[in-house]
Amino acid sequence: MYNGPTVDTIWLTTSMRILLKLRWFFRLKWRSYGLSFAALLAIAGLIMVPPWITGRIVDAVAQQRLTLNDLLLDIALLMGVGVLVYLLRILWRRQLYGASYQLAALLRSRIYDHLTLMAPAFFQHHNTGDLMARATNDVTAVEMTAGEAILALVDGVITGLVVLLVMAVMMSWKLTLLALLPWPIMGYFMWHLGNQMHDTFTEAQRQFSLLNDKTQESISGIRLIKAFGQQPQTLASYSAVTAEVSRANLEVAKVEAKYDPTIFVTVGTSFMLTVGGGAWWIHQGELTVGELTTFTMYLGYLIWPMFAYGWTLNLLERGSAAHTRIDELFNTAPQIGDHGTLPAPATTRIDMAITQFRYPGSEHHALQQIHCTIPPGTTFGIVGHTGSGKSTLINLLLRQYEDDAAQICIDGQPLHHYPLALLRSQFGVVPQDPFLFSVTLAENIALGRPDATLDEIRAAAALACIDSDILAFPQQYDTLVGERGITLSGGQKQRIAIARALLLDPPVLILDDALSAVDMGTERTILNHLKAARQGRSNIIICHRLSAVTDADEIIVLHHGAIQERGRHGQLLEHDGWYSQMFRYQQIEQQING
Amino acid sequence: MDKQHPFMRLLSYALSDRKLLRQALILLLIATAAEVAGPLLIKLFLDDYVVPGHWQPNAMLAIGGAYLFFMILAAATNYLQAVRLNIIAQHAVQTLREQVFAKAMAMPLSYFDRTPTGSLISRITNDTESIKELYVNVIGTFIQNIMRILGILIAMALLDWQLMIICLLFVPVVTALMYLYQRLSAPIFHQARTLISDINARLHETIQGIKVLQLLGQEPRFRRDFTALSNEHNRVRLRNIKLDSLLLRPLVDMIQVALLAGLLYSFGYQSLSSPVEIGVIYAFVTYLGRFSEPLIEITQRLSLYQQAIVAGERVFTLLDSDNTTPTRHADARIHSGKIEFRHLHFSYNDTQNVINNVSFTIPAGQFHAIIGHTGSGKSTLTQLLLRFYTPQQGEIEIDNQPLEHFSEEELRQRVGIVQQDPFIFNSSVRDNIAMGQPFSDSQIMHAATQAGLHEHVQRLPQGYNTIMNERGSNLSTGQRQLLALARTLIHNPKVLILDEATANIDSHTEAQIQKALMQLRGKITLLVIAHRLSTIEKADQILVLNHGELVQHGSHNELLGMEGVYRHLYEMQTLEVGEQ
Repeated sequence: MYNGPTVDTIWLTTSMRILLKLRWFFRLKWRSYGLSFAALLAIAGLIMVPPWITGRIVDAVAQQRLTLNDLLLDIALLMGVGVLVYLLRILWRRQLYGASYQLAALLRSRIYDHLTLMAPAFFQHHNTGDLMARATNDVTAVEMTAGEAILALVDGVITGLVVLLVMAVMMSWKLTLLALLPWPIMGYFMWHLGNQMHDTFTEAQRQFSLLNDKTQESISGIRLIKAFGQQPQTLASYSAVTAEVSRANLEVAKVEAKYDPTIFVTVGTSFMLTVGGGAWWIHQGELTVGELTTFTMYLGYLIWPMFAYGWTLNLLERGSAAHTRIDELFNTAPQIGDHGTLPAPATTRIDMAITQFRYPGSEHHALQQIHCTIPPGTTFGIVGHTGSGKSTLINLLLRQYEDDAAQICIDGQPLHHYPLALLRSQFGVVPQDPFLFSVTLAENIALGRPDATLDEIRAAAALACIDSDILAFPQQYDTLVGERGITLSGGQKQRIAIARALLLDPPVLILDDALSAVDMGTERTILNHLKAARQGRSNIIICHRLSAVTDADEIIVLHHGAIQERGRHGQLLEHDGWYSQMFRYQQIEQQING
Repeated sequence: MDKQHPFMRLLSYALSDRKLLRQALILLLIATAAEVAGPLLIKLFLDDYVVPGHWQPNAMLAIGGAYLFFMILAAATNYLQAVRLNIIAQHAVQTLREQVFAKAMAMPLSYFDRTPTGSLISRITNDTESIKELYVNVIGTFIQNIMRILGILIAMALLDWQLMIICLLFVPVVTALMYLYQRLSAPIFHQARTLISDINARLHETIQGIKVLQLLGQEPRFRRDFTALSNEHNRVRLRNIKLDSLLLRPLVDMIQVALLAGLLYSFGYQSLSSPVEIGVIYAFVTYLGRFSEPLIEITQRLSLYQQAIVAGERVFTLLDSDNTTPTRHADARIHSGKIEFRHLHFSYNDTQNVINNVSFTIPAGQFHAIIGHTGSGKSTLTQLLLRFYTPQQGEIEIDNQPLEHFSEEELRQRVGIVQQDPFIFNSSVRDNIAMGQPFSDSQIMHAATQAGLHEHVQRLPQGYNTIMNERGSNLSTGQRQLLALARTLIHNPKVLILDEATANIDSHTEAQIQKALMQLRGKITLLVIAHRLSTIEKADQILVLNHGELVQHGSHNELLGMEGVYRHLYEMQTLEVGEQ
C-alpha cells in the first residue's frame, strides 16, 4: 500500500499535535523533562568515549607502542565512563518515565472524576467497555507518548546528531558519506514497513475483537444454541473466525519478520562499505586501523536513531488518537446543571406539573399531563404496566433528566433552585435493579453514610428484613459481595438496597419496584416496618405487585405516560378499571405460583 | 498425558507439524552461521590484507563477495525461519482455541449453571491469547537467541578462546542478575497488577453503579478513593522503574563496557609479550554488540512465560474436565408431536429427586399448561424433554419413539423452546430470527407475523434491519419473548415449549403472546409453563406439579369438578375476589 507524501505529511502533523496538546503537562514537569534531556545529551557525548579508547588501543597495539601504564589508564577511563553513563541512565529513566506515569495517574483520575459528573443519559449512549477503554488503553497510549515517544524523539535526534557530527567532523567525512549510503534506503523501507505494520496490526486487533464478540455471544447464548441444535454451525463459524485471527496475526508476523533482516542488511552493507573504503584510505595513509575500529563502533550507534524515527511516529499516532478520545470525554459537559442556591426545603411537599416529557432523541411522549401533589408525611403509590412512565417520573423528580415542560417543585420551589447534592439528600431511593459494590455488606448498607456505626447499620438491616440473612453468613456484616465474595439472590440484593436507603432516614423514601423479588410475607413485614419507622415522612412506592400499595394515601395508575386512574386502594377497586382487574388477577396468580 | 507439565503439553501443540519445525530449525541454523561469518570475514580481511598492507584487489573483492553472500543468506534464512516459527505458533493457538471452544460448547448445561460466563469467556479468549505469547514471543525468541549466543561463542572460540572465556563470563553474570531482578521485581510486579485490576474493577463498578452513587451523593468520596488508588499504583510503578533502571538495561550496558575493558586489557596485555592480530579485537568488538541483546530479551520474556503457563493450566483444566453429554446419531423422525412421559425420575445431584415418578401423555396438537410453585420441577420437566439432562429412570417418547432415537438436529428442529428471558444477539432483528440460517425474507416475515412480532418490528427505525442493543434492551420483555417465539416458529416445530414470563410484562404483549398461541393450537403440540390464569383457563389439559410430583392432571372444568389443589386454589380466589 502506498501513501502519497501529502497524506504522510498531514498524518505527521496531526500526530505531532498531541505534543502541543500535552504542553501543559510538559510545563508542569519541566524539571523532570529538562533533567532527562540534559542526561540524554551527556550520555550521547560520553558514549563516544569507549569506541575512541578502543581505537586508541588498537592503534597503539598495531604500531607496537602500547605501554602497560597507558593501557591501565585507558581501561580506568573506560570504566569511569561506564559508571557515569550507568548513573545518568538511571537518572533519566526515573525522571522521564516517572513523569509519564504521573500523567497516566492524573488522566485516569480526571476521567474518573468526569464520569461521576455525568447523568444517566450519558451512560445510556456510551457502553461501559468503551468508557473503560478510554481510562485504560487510551491512557496508556498517552502515557507512552509522554514517555517512550519523547524519549525516542529526543534521544534519537540527540544521539543521531552527535554521532554524525563526531564521525563526519572528527573522523572522516568521506568515510561517513560512504558508510551512510545504504541508510536512506533503509529509512524508506522502515517507513514502508511501519505503514504495513500499522495496517496489519489494526486488522489483527479488529479480528481479535471479533473473536471476543463471537465467544461472548456463543457462551452467553449457550442455552439457545443448544436448544436450536446450533453447535455445528457455531463451531464452524468460530473456526472461521479463529482462522481469520490466525491469518491476520500471521500477516503482522510476516511484516515484523522483515524488520530484523532489513536492519541486518543495511548495517551489514554499511559495515562492508566502511571496511572496504576504510581499507583503501588506510592503504592511502589517510586512516589508521584503530580509527576504522572506532568508526565502525560509531556506526552501530546509528541503528537506534533510525529505529527511533519509526517508533516515535507510531507512538505519536497512537497517542494522538487516544488523546482525542479522552478529550472528547472531557469536552462533554455535565448534562444537569448545578447552580441552585436555596437552603434545604422546610417541608417535603412535592408538586408535579408535567405537561409533557420526552427522552432526548425519542419521538414518543414518556409522560404527559401529570399533575399531582404529595403532601409531607404521606405514602404515594405509582402503578402501571411496563413502559407506562413510572420510573421516568422518578428520574424527573431526582433531576436525572429535566425539561422545561416538566415542572416539579419541592416546598414550592423548582428543583433546580436547590443545589443538586442537597436536593438528592432529600431522597432515599431503592432502584429497580439494586447495585451492590464489591465491598462488605456493612459498607454496602452504609454506602450513603460511611460513618454509620454497626448498630445503626444493623437496625436498618433489621427494618429491611435482611439482618438475619446477613448473620447467617460466616463473616456476617464483613462478608464481601461480588466476584471475590458471595453472590446474593435478587431478593437479598433488594433488601440490602432498602436497608441502604433506610439508613439515610431520608425525608422522602422512594421504592422503585424494590420489592419485586421479595416474597409476599417478607414484603408485608417490610411494609409494616416502614409504616412504623417512617412516621411523618413521605414514601413513594412504585410497584408491579399491587399488594405493596394497598395502604397508600394516594395511588396513580399510569398508562402510556398519562394518569388513567387515581385514588386510594379501596376507591380504585370500586370501579372496574385496570387497577381492580390487575389486583384480582395478581391475587389469583399469587396462589398459583405460591 | 495427565501428569504432564503444562509447558510440555503446550509445547506438544507446537510439535504437531514436525516438518515445518525441522525446516525452521535448519533455516535458523543456517541464518546463525551466516550471521557470525561476517565478522570472521572482516577479521580475515583486516589481518591478511589491510594491516600487513598486502593490497590484492581480487582476493579482497572475493572476501567482499563472500561477505555479501553470507549477509543476504542470513537475512533471507532469518526471515524464512521467523515466518515458519510464526506459522507453527499461530497454528498451535488456533488448534488450542478451537479445542477449548468446542469443549465449552459440548459441556452439559449444568456446567454453565455453575460457571460464571465471564470466567469461561476469559478461558477461551484471554488465556489462549496469553498462550499465543508463549509460542510467538517466548519459545521462538528463546530458540533464536540461545542459538545466536552459541553461534557467537563458537565464532569467538575460533578466533581466540581466551578472549572467548572473558565473554563467556558474561552469561552467568547476566543470568544471575536476571534471576536477582526476577526475585526482586516479582512482588512489585504482582502488586502493580493487583492495583491496576483494582483500578479497573473500581472504574467498572462505578460506571455500573453510577446512579446509586449520585443519588447518595457519594461521588466526592469515591473520587477521593479512586485518586488514592491511582496514586498508589503510580507509586508502585515508580518503585518498579527504579528497580528496572538499577538492574536492567543500564546495568547490562555497564557490564558490557566492563567486558569491553576486559577484552581490551587482555588483548593489550597479550600484545605486550607476543604479536597479536588486530582483526581479532575488531571481530570481538563487533560480536560483543550482538551478545547482550539476546540475553536481555530472554529475561524480558520470562514474565510472559509465567503468564502463559498459568493460562495453560487453566485451559487444560477445562479441556480435561468430564464431558457427559453423549452425541447421538439416529434417524427417527418427529411427524406429529405426541409426547409421552413414563415413570420419570430425575435428580440434578443424585441425592434429591427433582422429578418423581411423573407420567402423562400429550396427544399431538394439544395445548397443555404446567403449573406449580417455584421449585416444583416445571422447568426441569421441559429441560428433560429437550434432552438437556438425562433422567435417571423412566422414559420420554415423542411420536412413540424414545427421545434417544432422534438426532440432535431432528430434535432441535422439531421441538422448539421459547425462554422467559431469551438471549438476543447483537445483530439485526432478521438475524436474530434466522439465527445464521439461510431463511428467505418471506419466511422470516411469516414467522414474525405468526408470533405477533411483525407489527412491533415495523415500528422500529430500520424494521427488520434494526440492530438490537446489547442483550436486546431496545425491546421490552414481552417483545423479546415474541422474538424468541418467531425464532422458534421459523423451523416449523411440531412441539413448542413456552416458559411464560413471570413478571414485568404488560397486558398488551401478554394478550399478543396468547393470541399467537391460540392460532398455533391444533397445529403444534404446546407445552406452556403457565403463570397467567388466562393461559391456564384456555389450556386443554392442566398439569399440576408439586415437589416434583404430578398431583393433578385434567382440563380446567374437570379439575374444578374434583376435590384437589386446583379447585381449592380456584375457589379461594373467586371467593376473595367476590368479597371485594
